[in-house]
Amino acid sequence: MANYTHDYSLPELMAVSAAREIRDGELAFIGVGMPLMAATVAKFTHAPNFNMMVEFGAVGPAPLRLPMCVNCAVNNERAYFAGSQREVMGAQQAGFVDVACISGAQIDKFGNLNSTCIGDYHTPKVRLAGSGGANDLASSANRTIIMMRQDGRNFVKQLDYLTSPGHLQGPGSREKAGLVGGGPVAVITTMGIYRFDVETREMFLEKIHPGVDLEKLKAAVQWDLAVSPDLVETELPTEEQVMIMRTLDPLAVYLGAGRQTLAGDFEAFMKMFEDSYQPMVKLMKSKGMM
Amino acid sequence: MRYQPIPIQEGRAKPPSYKIMTAKEAISKYVHENCYLGMTVSASPASLIWEIVRQRERIKTLDMVITSQIGMSSALIGSGLVRKIEMAYNWGGIEGEDKVFRRAVEKGIPRPLEVEDYSNFGAAMRWQAASMGLPFMPTKSQLGSDIIKYNPKIKVIDDPYTGQPVSLVPASYPDVAIIHAARADEIGNVQCYGLYGNTDTLARAAKHVIVSVEEIITSAEIRRMPNLTTIPYYYVDAIVHSPFGAHWRESNYYYHHDLAFGLEAFQQFATVEGFEAWSNKYIHGTKDWDEYCQLIGYDRLNRLMQSEHKYQQFGEVR
Repeated sequence: MANYTHDYSLPELMAVSAAREIRDGELAFIGVGMPLMAATVAKFTHAPNFNMMVEFGAVGPAPLRLPMCVNCAVNNERAYFAGSQREVMGAQQAGFVDVACISGAQIDKFGNLNSTCIGDYHTPKVRLAGSGGANDLASSANRTIIMMRQDGRNFVKQLDYLTSPGHLQGPGSREKAGLVGGGPVAVITTMGIYRFDVETREMFLEKIHPGVDLEKLKAAVQWDLAVSPDLVETELPTEEQVMIMRTLDPLAVYLGAGRQTLAGDFEAFMKMFEDSYQPMVKLMKSKGMM
Repeated sequence: MRYQPIPIQEGRAKPPSYKIMTAKEAISKYVHENCYLGMTVSASPASLIWEIVRQRERIKTLDMVITSQIGMSSALIGSGLVRKIEMAYNWGGIEGEDKVFRRAVEKGIPRPLEVEDYSNFGAAMRWQAASMGLPFMPTKSQLGSDIIKYNPKIKVIDDPYTGQPVSLVPASYPDVAIIHAARADEIGNVQCYGLYGNTDTLARAAKHVIVSVEEIITSAEIRRMPNLTTIPYYYVDAIVHSPFGAHWRESNYYYHHDLAFGLEAFQQFATVEGFEAWSNKYIHGTKDWDEYCQLIGYDRLNRLMQSEHKYQQFGEVR
């Protein structure tokens, strides 16, 4: 019997939900931020033989500190492999990546994502980061998990720009476009968890987060959202899962307001590493990973 | 019988000659107005970027090509040097939203910025093609997306062998590449520690290559571990010795990312005035990388190094 806890934040619930999508023994392509927290929880709990690839060229890192970026030195700390981006991106195109976590600013009912611009491409209202590796992973990973904020405006009928392919225009369209990967299997948001119908390839609501009102959730989706007849509440995080996230990220840099507190405060930044070193060593040892 | 020599064609290989120079010399020599500049940030070439910004009156305009870059284009774009960027991702990463990039694309401040979007692998394959002297590379990325719709340089064809669609990206040959790496000898053999992103292919694609390094070592040391050599000398034009040359970012096995500094910088970049004040203080207010490091404080830089070494030191088994 798992020890569930009510002492968690919404980002922590999302990270744990994503962790539960990862199976033991898999190879996953993981960015930093919330997906990294999900990967860490999976590795320390139900999926010890799962390993992650990092975009700038690392495989299977086992760091004792918090990675800062996909090109960060932490990603080759005690890794199995460190080298070129071509190695990891090539491997994912060739079908070696089981699962990848991606995100976007807008999503449509087929799980297509926009992370390029809001408004017209040539005269954008808001210019965003661009694809990065998201398009590549959405194209070629065996399956993808989408994690994003759901703010009422970003579950749209029509994307402003299709950066990363989901199920494109529905059944058969990925195959027709020549995409080799399987596409998205889950969308984890601040309000609930969605799956894709095997026939129509349309998104439907599978689980709703505790405390979220179904009508409010539906109002935050611009199309007529299908809801599972077996709709259940999202499984709570366990005490251990929350402990793991807070050990690796004690100031909630990724899952809270940690970044605001660290800006310009070098001593607080150095102290974060000092304080988390011993707990991380203890955690690693308790899991037989050191 | 009469012998007539075939005219000797000049090859692309750079000679195994002494290549160490200052950042000022290297940028003056190779980066010019309207240059097509390639950059990679698996380790950020901050000391070279700062020097380009110091010489902006002379250089005036650059077109940039990157794959994904995190936090390091701001100094160039904010200084009004960049006319066009070919890219997959240009943002702040953990430092957050890139307001400098947004201002340039949305409002044309300080100058209009044209963007040419690719996926990360698509962008990387452009240097891959150039590194092998090929005109293009096929990939299975970008298919079915708007990246293809809005970028006419990407072509979709049916693979002549299987009939399946593939997207083609054109080779990219930058005029100059700026790269930061772990160590090099004086003739330009460059070794990387840890992950190195697209450093290898960028160096092979570019016409001229400037590499800043943490350490200059002997060729005998290079020969001890030749499999660490990511860029052999014949691609390299200039080696610049820049200890802590990636600050505020990290350098694998040397020092940690200075997140406190990066976050504060990005807060300042939120406004034009903030950016100007920042670059006046840290870039124009310092004459070279050593002065920048003094301004940051070598104590602080050494603490970032100690922090990195607590977790990993090259060659150590843990």
